[in-house]
Amino acid sequence: MGLRIQSIQKVYPDFRLQLDFEVRQGEFLALLGPSGCGKTTTLRLIAGFIDPDSGSLHMNGRRIDTLPAHRRRIGIVFQDYSLFPHLNVRDNIGFGLRMQGWGSKDAKERIEELLRLVSLKEYGKRKVTRLSGGEQQRVALARALAPRPQLLLLDEPLSALDAKLRKNLRKEILRVQRELSITTLYVTHDQEEALVLGDRIAVMRDGHIEQIDTPKRIYNRPRNLFVATFLGQANIIRGRLAKREGELAVVQTPVGTLRVSPSQAEEFGASDEVIVFFRPEHCQMGGTKTNRINGRVVQKEYLGSHQLIEVESNGARFTLDLADRVTLVTGDTISFSVSPHHCCLFLQ
Amino acid sequence: MLFPLLLLAGPAFFLLLFFYYPLGSVLVGGLTDQSGRISLAVISALLRDPYYLKIIGFTVWQAILSTLLSVLLGLPGAYLLARYDFRGKRLIQALTTIPFVLPSIIVVLGFVRFFGNNGVLNRLLMALFGLEEPALKVLYSLKAILLAHSFYNFPIVVRIVSSLWRRIHPSTEEAARSLGAHGFRLFWRVTLPQILPGILSAAALVFIFCLLSFAIVLVLGGGPRYSTLEVEVYRLAKVSLDLKTGSALALVGAVISLVFLYAYIKLQQQSSFAEQMLEDYERPRLASMLRSPWGMFYLLYLLLMAVVILAPMVTVVAYSFQVRSGWGQQAVSLEWYRRIFSGGAYLRAGLNSLFFGTMTVLLALPLGTLLAYVGSRSRFAGSQLLEALMMLPIGISSIILGLGYLKAYQSFPWNIVGSWYAIVFAHTVIAYPFVIRVASATFRKMKPSLPEAARSLGAGPWQLFWHLEVPLARSALITGAAFAFGISVGEVNATLMLYNEKLVTIPVMIYRLIGSYNFIGACAMGSVLMLFCFLVFLIIDRAGGEV
Repeated sequence: MGLRIQSIQKVYPDFRLQLDFEVRQGEFLALLGPSGCGKTTTLRLIAGFIDPDSGSLHMNGRRIDTLPAHRRRIGIVFQDYSLFPHLNVRDNIGFGLRMQGWGSKDAKERIEELLRLVSLKEYGKRKVTRLSGGEQQRVALARALAPRPQLLLLDEPLSALDAKLRKNLRKEILRVQRELSITTLYVTHDQEEALVLGDRIAVMRDGHIEQIDTPKRIYNRPRNLFVATFLGQANIIRGRLAKREGELAVVQTPVGTLRVSPSQAEEFGASDEVIVFFRPEHCQMGGTKTNRINGRVVQKEYLGSHQLIEVESNGARFTLDLADRVTLVTGDTISFSVSPHHCCLFLQ
Repeated sequence: MLFPLLLLAGPAFFLLLFFYYPLGSVLVGGLTDQSGRISLAVISALLRDPYYLKIIGFTVWQAILSTLLSVLLGLPGAYLLARYDFRGKRLIQALTTIPFVLPSIIVVLGFVRFFGNNGVLNRLLMALFGLEEPALKVLYSLKAILLAHSFYNFPIVVRIVSSLWRRIHPSTEEAARSLGAHGFRLFWRVTLPQILPGILSAAALVFIFCLLSFAIVLVLGGGPRYSTLEVEVYRLAKVSLDLKTGSALALVGAVISLVFLYAYIKLQQQSSFAEQMLEDYERPRLASMLRSPWGMFYLLYLLLMAVVILAPMVTVVAYSFQVRSGWGQQAVSLEWYRRIFSGGAYLRAGLNSLFFGTMTVLLALPLGTLLAYVGSRSRFAGSQLLEALMMLPIGISSIILGLGYLKAYQSFPWNIVGSWYAIVFAHTVIAYPFVIRVASATFRKMKPSLPEAARSLGAGPWQLFWHLEVPLARSALITGAAFAFGISVGEVNATLMLYNEKLVTIPVMIYRLIGSYNFIGACAMGSVLMLFCFLVFLIIDRAGGEV
């Protein structure tokens, strides 16, 4: 159940979209990727504004890609809200009800219900052109939800708002989604949004999905270098796989021998060219004897609750995310370490 | 794909029958010899005749001069409207619609009464300086034509250029200034390239209007020396009854104006790019600038322009309240209005105009809206060509259209010339491109995500049209309707070719009254016509549709 996207293909002169994934019933799936990766095209394919070259879409077991957009029962929140400027808040929310032939009494009740849901109870008669960006976004959400769609699509709904409002509204969106437990696909290029909102995240690149997983696994166990570097900050160092030591892989790198517990160990063979990856916040000053790297502080960034220290070691650069209390100055020689199970291994 | 085609069937049928067919018959008339065989004989004879060559040359020459003058007069105004805020700005902006709604016959009338030998200006000068003779003899000369054309058309330049200029954020000029550019170089290197599409597009439009201008040349040119293609076609068709030479000459004129119409459409597409960059910014108050050294210049400019636009109109109204008593004395009187409203030919002309105007709205509005809708929604091979074909009537003078009607339906099983609907059809053909212009600007500006949002909420094609697109285009539709009415009420060229005694309209009546030197009567009819146009103007202004 939910939305099943089955071997969908859409070919453009300079771009090919290939999709095969599923949004589970009631799930919040965040579709994350850089601009131009095909997120919005994916959404428009599902909505029915674009026809795929091949493949099929099923919603709760029923095929929908053969239906025109206005029969798919999909609610959409657009990036620019796209509220109807000639209608007030109430009539915007009621537009879909009217189109789908709701009785006026039912429609009236439903509109009230939604105004309450998005906390705009007193706004029914307002002109939408007079609303702030955040209020417009709530109306857009209410309008999309009003006719009880089977699926909710959101296309970077928060990108036009300022940072503070964005944080408030994303909580709001999450609350509404949980309350209705509606199957939701949320397109964004903001990794923080994806991590906060998504039950699962699908990371997209060049028209296909690189990895689809829970936020925790996407962050800590990225499947490849693209996913690793697209989300959060990454330290990487190139090296050669020397041998295995039980569960650990031993990698020769310019900064010394690193031991890694790879998640997909079977993919690697001896003397493969590999990349070792670890996160700045997993680095410890001093620390254990394994995976100890010596270097010199070249730059620091003070961020209030913590600080980012840039360390140079034998031509390679690493970023360390350290607590504020550690005092270091540029030029200090330090050593730090990272535990093997915080490291990932990718083929070069 | 089927849906737009179905929508197009009605308009296509109408245009085929009442525009392309008469136009085609002019084309055929110009390209065949007396026995009906295809031949270039008539045209080539025409192009070797020094008399017609001179007319063609003069037509283009006066249009070039008029256009240059209009652009020069319009640019300072465009600058002021785009870059400054001042009290009364909205009114001035509204006044720039005047050329679109004010019939040229009123301009003619106002000009004669204001600049004429016995006009307000000369009498004022004679009284002031105790002169025996009129000081300014501008009427019936190239000067008169140029003056009337540029004063009639410069508001178009103000309108089109300022609407582009306004959308160009001053930050580019600020950046250029910080890099050391200033004064003329700043304008030449940074500002001008950005507003150039607007200037060229306005110039092309003004050029077409001047090329096709009829009443102004007919009356103010005052004779064969200053005849243009339009006037000559009219003379050939109505006076010499030589439809063949008329057709050939019309063909030459059509080719010239179509080249410029094409340029205009291309340029307009370019300048519409800027529309997406609109971001509002604070404008300085005009008052602060008027105190600067350039201030005097602009103050003078504003004053002069206001006088130039308003004076002829005020003159017409003022003169209409006079009556000639004995000894050449004149007194204030409502005599002419009494005559108009007491029935007879004058009242009938008024009622005819109202009737034609209403019928034109009923036809041109759906026609133009449907064409604009299909044109802005579908992109297919040849859709640009189709668009050009739809806008063709702007580039085809209404004289040629009238000539086409005269020629085409002679051999038609059903001769419509002399009927009221022939005039309504002609007015519709002349008016609907303006409806398209207004409507498609709105349809194009509609964010594509709005119909998508409506579709995702369950709106099918018809629901989309009725519940979203029509309401969103409401102000454009009102503007378009007002336009169509205004054009029909003020139309004189085609009507002169097609009317008979029962179908006299206000402008035709004005023309006839001027012809018999009855200026008071002409001014009274002109004031009634201006009242209609003023209502149109108010509606357009209230509706806020883009012109």
